Amino acid sequence: MFDEMLGEHNQEARKPYEQLVSWLKEQDHKKLLKKSVTAEQLFRRIGITFNVYGDKEAEERLIPFDLIPRILAADEWRTLERGIIQRVAAINAFLHDIYNGQQIIKAGVIPADLIYKNKAFLPQMCGFTPAGGVYTHVVGVDIVRTGPNDFFVLEDNARVPSGVSYMLENRSTMQHMFPELFTAHKIKPISHYPKELYNSLSKCAKNTIDNPNVAVLTPGIFNSAYYEHSFLADEMGVELVQGSDLEVHDGRVMIRTTAGTETVDVIYRRIDDDFLDPLSFGPNSLLGTPGLFDAYRNGAVILANAPGTGIADDKAIYSYIPEIIKFYMGEKALLNNIPTWRCADPDNLIYVLDHLHELVVKEVHGSGGYGMLVGTAASKHELATFAKKLKANPGKYVAQPTLALSTVPVLTKSGLAPRHVDLRPFVLVSPDNIKVTPGGLTRVALKKGSLIVNSSQGGGTKDTWVIGS
Amino acid sequence: MLGRHGNSLFWMARYLERSENIARGIQATLHHALSREDDGEQEWEAIVNNGGAGKIFKRKNHDTLSTTNIINFLLRDRDNPNSVTSLMSKARQNGRSVRTSLTQEVWLSLNESWIACETALNRPLSVHELPIILEGIIKGSCLFRGALYGTMLHNDIFNFLRLGTFIERADNTFRTVGAKHHRLLPTAKVIGGSEDQSQWEVMLRSLAAWRSFNWLNKGQLDPLSVADFLIFDERMPRSINFCYKEVTSNLEDLSNSYRRNYKSLDMSREICLGLTCGRSKNIQKFDLRNFINDYIWKNSQLSLTIASDFNLN
Repeated sequence: MFDEMLGEHNQEARKPYEQLVSWLKEQDHKKLLKKSVTAEQLFRRIGITFNVYGDKEAEERLIPFDLIPRILAADEWRTLERGIIQRVAAINAFLHDIYNGQQIIKAGVIPADLIYKNKAFLPQMCGFTPAGGVYTHVVGVDIVRTGPNDFFVLEDNARVPSGVSYMLENRSTMQHMFPELFTAHKIKPISHYPKELYNSLSKCAKNTIDNPNVAVLTPGIFNSAYYEHSFLADEMGVELVQGSDLEVHDGRVMIRTTAGTETVDVIYRRIDDDFLDPLSFGPNSLLGTPGLFDAYRNGAVILANAPGTGIADDKAIYSYIPEIIKFYMGEKALLNNIPTWRCADPDNLIYVLDHLHELVVKEVHGSGGYGMLVGTAASKHELATFAKKLKANPGKYVAQPTLALSTVPVLTKSGLAPRHVDLRPFVLVSPDNIKVTPGGLTRVALKKGSLIVNSSQGGGTKDTWVIGS
Repeated sequence: MLGRHGNSLFWMARYLERSENIARGIQATLHHALSREDDGEQEWEAIVNNGGAGKIFKRKNHDTLSTTNIINFLLRDRDNPNSVTSLMSKARQNGRSVRTSLTQEVWLSLNESWIACETALNRPLSVHELPIILEGIIKGSCLFRGALYGTMLHNDIFNFLRLGTFIERADNTFRTVGAKHHRLLPTAKVIGGSEDQSQWEVMLRSLAAWRSFNWLNKGQLDPLSVADFLIFDERMPRSINFCYKEVTSNLEDLSNSYRRNYKSLDMSREICLGLTCGRSKNIQKFDLRNFINDYIWKNSQLSLTIASDFNLN
């Protein structure tokens, strides 16, 4: 087991953590616990909460915040950054190809069925290139670690990745509570993220308009990520709109305001494809704006991310990413994938059923940690039930080995204790470059031994530092 | 600004103002009940009916008009859309949907008041807890007002908030005065014993006007001065006249910044003019009851016109 603070052999402290460890030694445990309560109150007061679907209306929860930062050295970060940029560039090239020409299918690299029979494939996008050629304006790449130099990509979130507000709020909370740590360490700043997001979005519109009107589109206050939507709109200084605030007039997308209407040029949408436009997609959607997609295809408005990007972060496509990188970039993938068995393949299915107790099985179209099986933690009964589901519908699942995820200490009532973590760095794509904000959101499984870090399943978060030069 | 945001700002301010008014009403009634030999049951009943929630109360409480039932109904019953708990939840929900239009201080004052209400009102209350709880609710409202004036740009966002406040406040003053209009009739002076005196006191206290009225009138209570003060006085921040001056001035601001003329502005100016004329009439012959009913209607018409003028939806 690799602990990022203490290393594989429980040494004194790995280099990036040296200063933190000596600071921690001087701290009184009770005082730290008190600070932890203060942080929670701060989050509650500001209203950094999320709604859990199915819970009572009034219930808003906090994502638990752990005070102990997670630290990456600058050279570790550079490796990740290079790999992420390569991956995201390939994903954008792949998306453009899939919706225009499909060379990768013709070359026999990816089976046609995998695309055409995929729910995430959007025929409405065929033959259309979004402004600036950008499909995924914002990407969150989930990364796990198993050793000092062993990083794996767990998942690419290319639709509407969330969590960036927690990355930013965690940092400002830490600065507020432990200013001394920030004078002692040279930590790469992240607070410019909203400005960069704004610049990156407006750059896409630069060909047609100088001073584009940007808006954030939210499903509304009952959405689990509503806080983040309002936070980003606020930080960028743009309107936070709902589908009902928009209307399409003479091909332009207009916002209804108290003084009449105004045109909107770029929509950073935080609602799924299905809900964007009842005329083009889900006809029952009450969240969307009729005519929005037509306006988009006519170039009257930019949607970020583009509709149909889900075809690139689908769990079945995931296993092809190394081939995708090779095909478009002519390079070997810098970041490893986790070996993945596609259960649709009969040989794979036999292997997966035989080794169910040691594998992680996920739904191809699932997210948020719902509907997955962690074989090592499941009871005999759970394994048997899951095997039945798997046999009934093998195409719905992929399986991966259970990785010994790295740990970082968290603060518990009885002192520091190691817990498993992952990392979601945030990537901004504009027509001329790809930028990764240093660090990202560290999610931590707060239950001892647990590997599930999702906030909907009791995970917490940590501030994440990139230090040194 | 989004029409929907304008709507949320307007209603957020209305709900907050209403919850403050309810707290003040309970405070005044409590003071009244504690200052007499019987338990002032009639007054408690009046305060339930005043908010228009009498039916819901009867359905839920089977006609038991105990003080404890009433205060729990007014403060913390979620089935009562105008209980302080319900109002604070709605105010905060509106506030959450316009977070991007509020300064951090304004949002924090609202969110913290809501958290304080949820905490204080999450279990049955008894009368002895009232003074501190009511004070807390009123303080929260004052803090919000202060944050608003001190940190927000005085632009259209501010105007919609102020419109909500003063439309709601005018409505409340109308209803408070209307509920006791018979005590303010010129003939009341003849009947006027100490019972009437204490009724006027409840009315003035509910509108945060007890001290200022006494200061201006050297402690002399008579029905015509009370009516004149609550309706026409231009200095008293809860008088009808004051509220409409504010409504008109906020609508003028909006008309100037959007460079348009609005029907709601014309209506509001007309109401102001009507008030000025009303005062010059002989107050002895003044038909208070009709006047109040007429203006409650005008007030709600104005609120609807504001909504259609500015796309509040």
